[in-house]
Amino acid sequence: MSEWQSFVGDLVEQWPLLVTGLGQTVLLTAIISINGLLGGIAVFYLGLSPRRWVRRFINGYISFLIGMPLIVLLFLMYYGLPQWGIRVSPFAVAVLGFTFNVAAYNAAYLRTAYNGLDASELEAATAQGFSHRQIFGLVILPQVLRLSVPALTNQVILNLKDSTLAFLIQYTEFFARVQELASTNFQFFKAYAFAALVYLALVSVVVVAARLLERRIIIPGSMR
Amino acid sequence: MSFLDILRQLSHGVGYTLLVTLACSVTGLLSGLLIAGSRQLGGAGTALLLDVYTYIFRGIPVLVLLFVVYFGLPGLGLKVAPLLAMMLSLGLIAGAYLAEVFRGALGSVDASEILAATASGMTRGQIFCHIELPQMLRFAVPGMVNEFTTVLKYSPFAYTVGLPEVTKEAMSLVATTHRGIEIYLAVGVVYFAIFRLLMVFIRGLERRFEIPGMRPA
Amino acid sequence: MSASPLIEIRQLVKRFGDHTVLNGVDLELFAGDIKVVMGPSGCGKSTLLRCLNRLVEPTSGVIRFRGEDITAPGVDVRALRQSIGFVFQQFALCRHLTVLDNVTLGLRKLRGLRRAEAEQKALHELDRLEMASHRDKYPAQISGGQKQRVAIARALAMDPAVVVFDEPTSALDPVMSREVAGLINRLHQEQVTMLCVTHDLVLAQNIADEVIFLDQGVIRAQDSIARLAANHADPQVRAFFGREGFSA
Repeated sequence: MSEWQSFVGDLVEQWPLLVTGLGQTVLLTAIISINGLLGGIAVFYLGLSPRRWVRRFINGYISFLIGMPLIVLLFLMYYGLPQWGIRVSPFAVAVLGFTFNVAAYNAAYLRTAYNGLDASELEAATAQGFSHRQIFGLVILPQVLRLSVPALTNQVILNLKDSTLAFLIQYTEFFARVQELASTNFQFFKAYAFAALVYLALVSVVVVAARLLERRIIIPGSMR
Repeated sequence: MSFLDILRQLSHGVGYTLLVTLACSVTGLLSGLLIAGSRQLGGAGTALLLDVYTYIFRGIPVLVLLFVVYFGLPGLGLKVAPLLAMMLSLGLIAGAYLAEVFRGALGSVDASEILAATASGMTRGQIFCHIELPQMLRFAVPGMVNEFTTVLKYSPFAYTVGLPEVTKEAMSLVATTHRGIEIYLAVGVVYFAIFRLLMVFIRGLERRFEIPGMRPA
Repeated sequence: MSASPLIEIRQLVKRFGDHTVLNGVDLELFAGDIKVVMGPSGCGKSTLLRCLNRLVEPTSGVIRFRGEDITAPGVDVRALRQSIGFVFQQFALCRHLTVLDNVTLGLRKLRGLRRAEAEQKALHELDRLEMASHRDKYPAQISGGQKQRVAIARALAMDPAVVVFDEPTSALDPVMSREVAGLINRLHQEQVTMLCVTHDLVLAQNIADEVIFLDQGVIRAQDSIARLAANHADPQVRAFFGREGFSA
């Protein structure tokens, strides 16, 4: 049992660092979730543009980012930008890269919900003389956002889990701290299993919050 | 070094990328089917157990589970080869997600068909094999496509356990040439091409097994 | 015709919780017979059929099939089900199988026939119901009436001792209903034993001289529709059989 004692001892000793790392993970997840939502709405809005070249560009953006691994996008910025003399911190790369990626996914969810909307409702709004932007803000967006809540909250869970990727570009979030813990006592299994449990607990918190949110904003009769 | 040279260099890793994707997808497919099938045929206890299993595997980041398996298990005396480690992490996580996809698809099988089969004297197992499974697989196509492409997009993690796939090739190339932008753009193009090819292949399969009146909801 | 009935139901009771669906039903069906059970929805018609092949477990009472009490423990339920052909209201054909494969599935998996033998037998039944030319179509590609004929062929292919129909026309339009009625008559002439529950008066009138009226879990009357409509003592029974638009 001395192995356990030494592991727990190291855990306690590095606790402050682990907590800092956990804070970084939560912060990163929160930022990319908010950015990804706002970016997703923007991309979705542009995708409805009356101009064809804009729609084409947006379609290309969404399908390229969805077809490309996130880690490649992060590496492109982290290892590529210095080539042009641009030095960016791991945190900035993570925020930017995730935002581009998550925005593409969220825009795709919003578009799926939009395709299920009642076309006559939009026609009626147009007929009443609302502008393109007014229709988007008053009719389309509120409905589409509500319909997309399950997909959007699921994306937050994915963001939380994917935030471990930031460790691969040297950002010291929680998993990087666990890495350090493991390398001090070489008890890799215990350290990584501990990390797995922590992520599972964090995911559970998001799951519960998502369920509460879903229950609050369901429109009667609009959910299948 | 031209863009084509870069692509040529990266192509050495394509085989491993495909291998990892295929191995993890098959692991996911088989474990997902096993979970969905046992859940359907087993009792309430089995269902609860499997729900806990899928919840856990869907709640752990792929990278963390990969490290548990590849760097953690040797400490318990279990040495795991890199590809197997990918299958036991990415593959099993994909399986947990696929089990959910299959569960939803099983819900789309018409209850009256199952009742009719029961009334004709079929066993629960026969009904699953001959009616539920073939229909469920068709209903599950969109979810399966989604999961297989997710596996492709997480396959670069294989570089962390030393498999020389596309991302790994790119990293060594960047280390020697310092042309990160072109190289990682090329990597993006390679993954996008694989993704598109995968879609063409799946559309072909879909057309081959298409049945009138049985489009996924 | 043998002296003992093929199916003999005595004092059949079925309760779901404290809701009594069947409250002491007696019924006999002889080989070659056709019987029609009618009644308002929720009267227990479907439950009665489902007790016959133990899709529903009776609460009490006796059901004898070929003289054997099939409510007793240790009865081979699957063998019982294989000898009772069931035709459902919603056709219940497998969407992923062709017309032919819908009929061969039971022959191959339950009877253990090889594909060639099963197809031969299935085609014979489909031909009998004029559906052989549609053998390679999927359920989504044929009409409701055609689906019902395939469902009947599927039941007949297993050479059942009795075919039971659960509201066979309620999902069909009047023209198709009449078609199904004609079909049932033909099967009756071919000595197929049948039990049919329905609330379709036209169908009942077309396929049987007498009907059994089931209401609130008990058999209230048994007579020709015309007599039940005209002069049954119970005004509810007269009302049920004297429904608008129907002339006996």
